[in-house]
Amino acid sequence: MTATLTAPGGTLAGTRGLVRLALRADRWRIVVWALAVAWLTTVSVSALETVYASDSSRAARADLIASPAATALAGPGYGLDDYTIGAMTANELALWIMLPVGIMAVLAVTRHLRAPEEDGRLELVRSQPVGSAAPVVAGLLAATAAVLAVGGLTFVGLLTTSLDPAGSALMCAAIVVVALVLAGASAVASQLAAHARTASSLGMAAIGVAFVLRAVGDVQGPQSTSVWTWLSPFGWSQATAPYTEDRWWPLLVGLAATAVSVALAFALAGRRDLGTGLLPDRPGREAGRIRGVVGLTWRRQRTAIWSWGFAIVLSGLLVGVLAAQIVDFIADQPAFEELYPGGVGGATASAFALYTVFLAVLAFAYLATAVGAAHQDETAGRAETLLALPLSRTRWLGSQLALATGAAVAMLLVAGLVMGLTAAASLDDPDQVATLVGAAAVTIPGVLVVLGVAVLVLGFAPRAFAVVWAYVAYVGVMAMFGDLLADGADAASPFTYLPALPAEPMSWTPVVVCSLVGLVLVAGGLAGFRRRDLQG
Amino acid sequence: MTDAITASGLVKTFGPKRALDGFDLRVATGEVHGFLGPNGAGKSTTIRVLLGLLRADEGDVSLLGGDPWRDAVTLHRRLAYVPGDVTLWPTLSGGESIDLLGRLRGGIDPRRRADLVERFELDTRIKGRAYSKGNRQKVALVAALAADVELLLMDEPTSGLDPLMEALFQEVVREAAADGRTVLLSSHILAEVEALAQRVTIIRSGKAVLTGSLQELRSLTRTTVTVGLRDATGGEAALAATEGVHDVRHDDGHVTFDVDADALDEVLAALPAHGVSSLVAHPPTLEDLFLRQYGEELAEIKATR
Repeated sequence: MTATLTAPGGTLAGTRGLVRLALRADRWRIVVWALAVAWLTTVSVSALETVYASDSSRAARADLIASPAATALAGPGYGLDDYTIGAMTANELALWIMLPVGIMAVLAVTRHLRAPEEDGRLELVRSQPVGSAAPVVAGLLAATAAVLAVGGLTFVGLLTTSLDPAGSALMCAAIVVVALVLAGASAVASQLAAHARTASSLGMAAIGVAFVLRAVGDVQGPQSTSVWTWLSPFGWSQATAPYTEDRWWPLLVGLAATAVSVALAFALAGRRDLGTGLLPDRPGREAGRIRGVVGLTWRRQRTAIWSWGFAIVLSGLLVGVLAAQIVDFIADQPAFEELYPGGVGGATASAFALYTVFLAVLAFAYLATAVGAAHQDETAGRAETLLALPLSRTRWLGSQLALATGAAVAMLLVAGLVMGLTAAASLDDPDQVATLVGAAAVTIPGVLVVLGVAVLVLGFAPRAFAVVWAYVAYVGVMAMFGDLLADGADAASPFTYLPALPAEPMSWTPVVVCSLVGLVLVAGGLAGFRRRDLQG
Repeated sequence: MTDAITASGLVKTFGPKRALDGFDLRVATGEVHGFLGPNGAGKSTTIRVLLGLLRADEGDVSLLGGDPWRDAVTLHRRLAYVPGDVTLWPTLSGGESIDLLGRLRGGIDPRRRADLVERFELDTRIKGRAYSKGNRQKVALVAALAADVELLLMDEPTSGLDPLMEALFQEVVREAAADGRTVLLSSHILAEVEALAQRVTIIRSGKAVLTGSLQELRSLTRTTVTVGLRDATGGEAALAATEGVHDVRHDDGHVTFDVDADALDEVLAALPAHGVSSLVAHPPTLEDLFLRQYGEELAEIKATR
């Protein structure tokens, strides 16, 4: 094996070195991904075990999930007549593990296959005795290692739950296989696209298409009976029906598709010049119309704004559409009186309050990417070019922050409006429109707090920008699990103080205080940014 | 004549490293000032201090009569900057980048832009991510040179340009100087500085080690002379005994030696006695100046070992 891989002259020459380099570069990323996915999966299954302890609550859940809107976001619905925790995990949770793991695999491939080509590192590498297929193998093997680590550790985590180990093994294998299929597709996309960013966008688009195909298929025909389901790698992996039917054979379809796409990627790699793609790059405009930093930021952020906005508004839409079923589901709970002392109205309001916070956390994540983009411009040297112009640092950063904040607020308000309109229709209650727009609006001080934290980090400790992401994750985890943790653990999250509309009454003091805290942090961060040396 | 830039005693540290260590610089208005130094000597740090992107820890600096840190925005209206390693916006075409930079400055002269784009043979439709290094450099040069400013700060602006473009660069910098603009040109291409600059400053390890006009600097160093002599052996002996003459070599009827500027008279008077058949004199190049400075550093390093 070693001899063939390092054989001089072959297209695979030098693969071993590149693979080792890729794994070394990714080692911490892989560890973090594996721990995060395994932990979140195990925690989620434990939560399902606690919340759905009784047969009747699981039956009610099965009814809720059988609706088309819920099916589109879940799976093919195996075992709905006897909805065990295992069936529930495979039907509702598995897809949401496959999705991020698939994204991870796609990004790993482009990171090792195209990004080094773009910045010229690969040119240096390929001038050594390294064959054209070696980077393809390196990218695929790095992705495979990450996927196997995630799948393996998740399986170990699931052993601590009540789930059948055989079913868990199958589900984890199904997650691994779907990620491998997407990695293969990403390797092909990397040969077609002229640039790393186009390649990863193509990979993401492939994930989106696969997701929609399986959603359409599962809504049309339950238990993988629709043709559409079988056009999607997610469909293949979900057709394994872990914990119920326990079929292994659909994974062969995925493995075969991976083999085909990998072979195609190899063939294309030998046919392509270094630094080009098989699809031509479109030329740009000869003259520019961009005015000012806001125009520039819009131009660079618009794809992100539309994609995040679409995801957030779509989430709001689904919550609204499902409102009637959520209410029925809550009312059918046998332990209803104990669980929800506030009556059906109160329980529904709590559910909406929680969903609204979920939407807000998504908007925070967008905000973190937007401030992160400003930080990247600084380290890449683009900020230096602009700040050598008659442009103050406050205006340079402030314009970008204003646009990002405006976009995050707009996403939340539109999502609240769409959620309100669909909930009003679904519940036949026009008041929901104002209620849910209000619920979305009251999270805006949270946007300011997250913005403040991000600007403060940028202003005083730009090298520690990962702190911003840690804070967003902290706010998300506290919103979901804060009640289960020690008192005071959630003290730094704005949602600990903001009124959880519509479940709680409106209260202006925390809204004003959180907004002021956010604005003071922003002002402090901007002052720090004005005073410090530019990085890069 | 006033000074466009004065800096004295600049100190800038990055952790334990002293990037600038009491650096002095004076650039007169209207001159092209060469700024020379090996990699890592502190050239880019100096320029970034002059742009107000970094704040000096100690020392005084004045640029166009203002404080580059405090008055950054107003001063930047009057200057343009070309970085040595240009990064562009990956999805913006070169033309869009030039126009964006022009608009942020408050307007761009479309005729000057078109003229420079044509002369630099820049394809403005290519996106930032697809440009080669030289073409990214051209984008920054066009954007800076099309601007109507008093001062050009250039940090190794020709890295990545081919020899034809390098020649064109020299031409446009001469035009800019003829228009009365001040240019601070950092470079390690000595021929470029020699061709353009009236005065130079050499920086080493964060200190200005030499500064002055090219003429002054040349007089500080030695002219290399190769002379064909009918009596080569006698000539060699006579020259070796003359004060101010160094490193005398003898090769097949030709004697080569280095001579201090103030010993030239004496040497030229002495040569005819040995029968001159040919004579070639090289003026000291910047390379010599530079290598001499650098050579001392190497000698210091050797001595400390």
